[in-house]
Order: sequence, then C-alpha cells, then structure tokens
Amino acid sequence: MTPPEVRDALRSWIRAHNPEVPEGEPADDTPIIERRYLTSLQVADLLVFIEELRQAPLDPSGLRPGTFRTIDAIHDAFFLGS
Amino acid sequence: MTDDLAETVARLCATSQRTYQNPYEAIAWPEALDRRQWFTLPSFISLHGTPTWEAMTEDEQKVLSFWEAVNFYSLNIHGEKALMAGLAGRLYQPGMEAVAEYLHHFLDEENKHSVWFGTFCTRYGGKVYPDRKVAFPQEHAEGEEDFLFFAKVSIFEEIVDRYNLAMARDERLAPVARQINANHHAEEVRHLVFGRRIVEELWRQGAQRWSDEVIAGIRAHLAAYVTATWREYYNPDVYRDAGLDDPWAVARDAWGHEATRAHRDEITRFALRPLAAAGMVVP
Repeated sequence: MTPPEVRDALRSWIRAHNPEVPEGEPADDTPIIERRYLTSLQVADLLVFIEELRQAPLDPSGLRPGTFRTIDAIHDAFFLGS
Repeated sequence: MTDDLAETVARLCATSQRTYQNPYEAIAWPEALDRRQWFTLPSFISLHGTPTWEAMTEDEQKVLSFWEAVNFYSLNIHGEKALMAGLAGRLYQPGMEAVAEYLHHFLDEENKHSVWFGTFCTRYGGKVYPDRKVAFPQEHAEGEEDFLFFAKVSIFEEIVDRYNLAMARDERLAPVARQINANHHAEEVRHLVFGRRIVEELWRQGAQRWSDEVIAGIRAHLAAYVTATWREYYNPDVYRDAGLDDPWAVARDAWGHEATRAHRDEITRFALRPLAAAGMVVP
C-alpha cells in the first residue's frame, strides 16, 4: 500500500469506530487522542488492523500513547520502511 | 464502609486463610503434552460455529483448542498484572483501609494464578501472547478511577469465570487444563463476591456526587471495556499458531459471525448482571 492509502485506511478505521467524528476529520495531523477520536480501549483492536494492513505481526511491547497521537504518527511508527 | 461490606471482607479473609495453598503443589504438571486433546471446550473456542471451524478436522480443532488455552491464560496474566498493580496501589490508600486485609489475600491469590497460567504457557506453548493494550492518561472525577478499576476487574473476572466453571467440570478436557480452570474458579468465586460488594459501595458513594456527564461517561467506558475485552479472545496470533491462513481475516470473520455473537451476548448478559442490577451499566 502507498502512504496515502495507508493513511486513508487508518482514517476510515477511526471513522468507522467513532461515528461522532465530524465530516472530513481526522486530518493526518489531527490530535486524535486529545479529541477522543481514539481511546485507549480501542488501541488493541487498531493494532490488529495495522497488522493486517502490513500483513505481518508487530511487537506491541514498549508502545507509548505518543505513537498514536496522529495518523501521521501511526503511519511513521508502523509503516515507514515496511 | 457499610456493615455488609465489612461482614463480607471478614468472611472472605477467613476463607482465604483456611484454604491457603502452595501454588507449586496445586497442579500436576505433565512433562509434555499431546496437543491432540481438548484444552478448551469446543463451544468456548472463538471460531466455534463458523465456516472456518466446520472446515477443520477434529485434530486441527484440538490443536486450535491448545492455542486458545494459551491465549486465555495469557489474557489472564495480562489482566492479573494490571489487577495486581492496581491492588498494590490501593493497599492502605485513604478510603480503602477497611478492605486492606482482603486486598492482601486478593494480591496473593492473583499472583498464584499467574504462576499457573504462566507455567502452562511457557512450558507447553513456549510463550505468553503479548498484550496489545496501551493506556492513555485520563482525568477522573473524585472516586471515579477507583470505581472504574474495580468495575472493570469485576467484568473481566465474571467473563473468565464462565469459562473456568465450564472447563473445570468437563472430562473431555486434558487434566492439566481442567485443574487450572478448577483451581482458578475456586478462588475467583471469592474475588467475584468482593468485587460485587466493593463496586456497589464505590458506586453508592460516587453516584451521589458525580454529575450526569460523569455517570454517562462511566457507562460508555464500561460498555467499551466489554467490547475491548471480548476482542482479545479473537487473537490472530492464535490462528497463525494453529496453522490457519490469513489469521487477520479469520479473526475479523469470526468476530462478525452470528454464532460467536450469540456466545458473547449470553456470557456478557450474565457477567453484567450484578452491575446492571445496581444501575451502573445499561444492559
């Protein structure tokens, strides 16, 4: 997948799991934790989705909230160089 | 603390002292395990009733039942790690003095359970499945964090106990799996009683001063917690280890299948009954 496709897939996932996200959001740099578009209880599920996009398991040890602060941050943490 | 909670704490402490056990003697650990046995009851396996399940041979289903057991025990280890950290943090905390004596037993027993679960996972599976949870910092109203902690413990343990209870009794299961489930259930029964009493007490104290917004937030959080808890029972790592192709699609399809939804709904209804009766969650 290209970087824009990955970002769009992540955006769609967040929108699908949070019907109250306003139209057109989140942008790549929207603070998704701060706006509560992503909660801690959704992270495990998101990680499984990220694994599926990458078609490879990932090591969840040592992950920090900052890893998930924006779509850009998620992309850079899990898809750069993959 | 109400007289009811005080009486419960005294009774549970007495039982914990009377039934105190050495975790290293409670289970008969075989040297090696033949994985072509049932380690999880078929009806409690996450794929049960799905087309993937129907397409598997009985030997393949039994191997899957082994990795499902490793996942179930791994979930318990991660749940117990968070639980022990939370219990230790609340020992002699202002407002918790009256239950401190039981928190010592609770901590001790949870640690023993993790010894059993960890021994099975590492000895026979060679691993504990990793925890995918990440905690975000969050602000709470006064008393809300303690309430949510014990309410989530209660939900987690009520679900687990339905599995333990069924698997402790069924002779189809490998003896070691039956023993682990039976021993866990025997001590969890007390934790469940304590959990129900303390969440009632914390809810009684908190609900008087929390705003409607805080209460709505608590209910939404607990509903999301139920979903998050169940999602972890559908672990792609399990399906990969059981030799299934495209483990993420297997997890996604299983989660959405009506048979697995019916299984979750039935157990959830039972698990939430104590909280729903007190108005803490909307069933």
